[in-house]
Amino acid sequence: MNFTWSDAAYFGPEAVMGLTFLLCVLGDLVTRGRRHVVPFGTLLVGTAISLVLALLHPPVSSHAILGQMVVVDGFAHFFRLLFLGITFVTALLSWSSREIMGRDREHQGEFYALAAMLCFGMMVMAESADIVMLALSLEAVSITSYILAGFARFSFRSSEAALKYVLWGAVSSAVMLYGLSLFYGLTGATSYEGIRAGLSGGQGGMALLVAILFVMAGIGYKISAVPFHFWTPDVYEGAPAPVAAIFASGPKIAGFALMIRFFYVALVQDDSQGTLALLDDVQWPWVLAIISAATMTLGNMAAIRQNSVRRLLAYSSIAHVGYMLMGFVVLSANGLAAVLFYLFVYAIMTIGAFLVVVALNNRVSGEEIDDYAGLGFREPLVAAMMFLFLISLTGLPPTAGFIGKFYLFAAAGEAGLWWLAILGVLNSVVSLYYYMRIARAMYFTPPELSGRVGLAQAHLILLVVLAVPTLVLGVFWSPLKEFADQSLRMLLGGG
Amino acid sequence: MLIQFATVFVFLCLGLGFVVVSQVISHLIRPHNLHPAKQTVYECGEDAEGSPWIQFNVRFYLIALFFIVFDVEIIFMLPWAVAFNDMLKTLGAFAFWEMAFFITILALGLAYVWSKGDLEWVKGLQSRDLREVRPLSVLTSKDAAPHGRVKVSEHGG
Amino acid sequence: MPDLQSLGDNLQVGLEHYLTLSVMLFSIGTLGVIFRRNVLVMFMSVELMLTSVNISLVAFSRYLDDLNGHVLVLFVLAVAAAEAGVGLAILVEIFKKRDTVDVDEFRQLME
Repeated sequence: MNFTWSDAAYFGPEAVMGLTFLLCVLGDLVTRGRRHVVPFGTLLVGTAISLVLALLHPPVSSHAILGQMVVVDGFAHFFRLLFLGITFVTALLSWSSREIMGRDREHQGEFYALAAMLCFGMMVMAESADIVMLALSLEAVSITSYILAGFARFSFRSSEAALKYVLWGAVSSAVMLYGLSLFYGLTGATSYEGIRAGLSGGQGGMALLVAILFVMAGIGYKISAVPFHFWTPDVYEGAPAPVAAIFASGPKIAGFALMIRFFYVALVQDDSQGTLALLDDVQWPWVLAIISAATMTLGNMAAIRQNSVRRLLAYSSIAHVGYMLMGFVVLSANGLAAVLFYLFVYAIMTIGAFLVVVALNNRVSGEEIDDYAGLGFREPLVAAMMFLFLISLTGLPPTAGFIGKFYLFAAAGEAGLWWLAILGVLNSVVSLYYYMRIARAMYFTPPELSGRVGLAQAHLILLVVLAVPTLVLGVFWSPLKEFADQSLRMLLGGG
Repeated sequence: MLIQFATVFVFLCLGLGFVVVSQVISHLIRPHNLHPAKQTVYECGEDAEGSPWIQFNVRFYLIALFFIVFDVEIIFMLPWAVAFNDMLKTLGAFAFWEMAFFITILALGLAYVWSKGDLEWVKGLQSRDLREVRPLSVLTSKDAAPHGRVKVSEHGG
Repeated sequence: MPDLQSLGDNLQVGLEHYLTLSVMLFSIGTLGVIFRRNVLVMFMSVELMLTSVNISLVAFSRYLDDLNGHVLVLFVLAVAAAEAGVGLAILVEIFKKRDTVDVDEFRQLME
């Protein structure tokens, strides 16, 4: 175990984000919290530099750094780009949000520092190859998220959301840490590779089952899978809308990245023929398949009953976790590639849908579906974009959501999990109903008021920027699919 | 090695036994004439005023929070200090700068708290909610719950 | 008079004892979180769960004669402190507005 400066070359984007966090704090400090453009600019510049660094030096082989605790490979590269993009977009959309400004803009600078920290934590989550780093990066993301959830200090709902989040988050991370301690005890190793070597004897038994279930509980909480989903609607509703947009994309995707690396490196072996097999006789894919089925069904059933757009989107994000788990349980490179593809697409369309909520939230008081009545006449552009994102979330052509779902269902079918694929299709049909309730309100209900709503220019531009890939990836998706395939190559042996 | 714990156990038994025996004996031989004055908190001197279940000012907690965060970081410095000489041989100056960087981050946090004015007692009085600084008499008279606790309810089970 | 010396030789405190203690603490903590309604007590229960994690990690680490477990313990301690710090700060914020720390009173976010 050795730490050297040469590791820094591979850790560049993360190091830049860490420094960005410190500079944001420092900027807020030097300007005495009055000029928010300083931390805001620092975050944008830092994210851009990090993005350029990541793009300039894509990893050509799997490289373990920082005492073998962090692995930089194609998989990490994929998620780096995704998280940096998410951070950049959400920073932009939060700039003119009423909820982030607060009453006196006293704390707005802190938001950007926290966003930088969140991005840093998420990138390390996707790269961690040791349970020490796993626990640390997960907590870095969690603790930052708790603060962000309660960011609107003047709002009791925000504080309540933050309290629920921190309470159940602390419980689930304690449960997960207990599971990790069992892994350590069973194998005597903290690195994923060491755990795999320790488990290849194949007699984990009951303790291994408990350890896997406990770790699943911790990750399930982060990605809000049933039965650990109950905090999601409350937090998305109570937290400021830009924060909800971050939560629905960033930490959830990071949870998936962490889960894929942990389960596929520590608990699965590659028998050099390209097929993946379980190390032990603990059938965790079956547990996850049932969780997947329950998550999409319950998420969709609950979404039908919602009247608040934000709660509806929260339940819809739960349902999407169910779809993505489908690609995770099949134990094949195709399934994982489908998950990666869908994560990318999901980030774009979810942030897009939440961006509409953020933009309207500045001007309209309510967030019920009825409050969106007549939006199609008052703000044709915003309504059209929202309609596009809703179509994509449902999974109808010609949008990126359709391609993503197609790959997921195909991967499940290919692995013989036909019941899961059929359930997924049925759930998509159900989801059409509640997404179209918003569309119906926008286009078929006459508005109570007339005239433009008057939205921020930046939000409109950002909406178009997000809508373009949603459409383009729907007809021209092969580059992204190839990128996803290539990213996995180093993770699943042969790298 | 467990034999040492047997000694502890014997001491524990003797200690507990002493308390129980002396309480029982004093209960048996003392005179029993009750008087209301004997039920007060202090049997002599001033009458007790109000309930002991008062609410601590929330700013004590804030100070405690800052303390916890900086206090816990010590656990990272102790192993570093113990292993410093060995690390110098393998890592060189990196061993020193690593911890210097860590402490710089902590110092930045402290500076942040300081500049936001949360280390000052008086700023809190001016900028915070007035209800926080209400006098104790308000808490202990009217809105006090049966046991004098201010709606810090706790239904177990 | 029992022979204390042989009693001590036969009763060795081993890995199982530490793990049993850890499981017991973890269960108490979990039950505390589920059944108590005072947020402060719930946070204390979470701390109990984290303590049980630390006990099991240290026990494993000692048993395996490997230092990695100790490293994880240090980080768990730091994380627990940070989590408690953020949690209590949020609770103070809520208490200022509602004068209560009973979770059943926080019902604004419901369907």
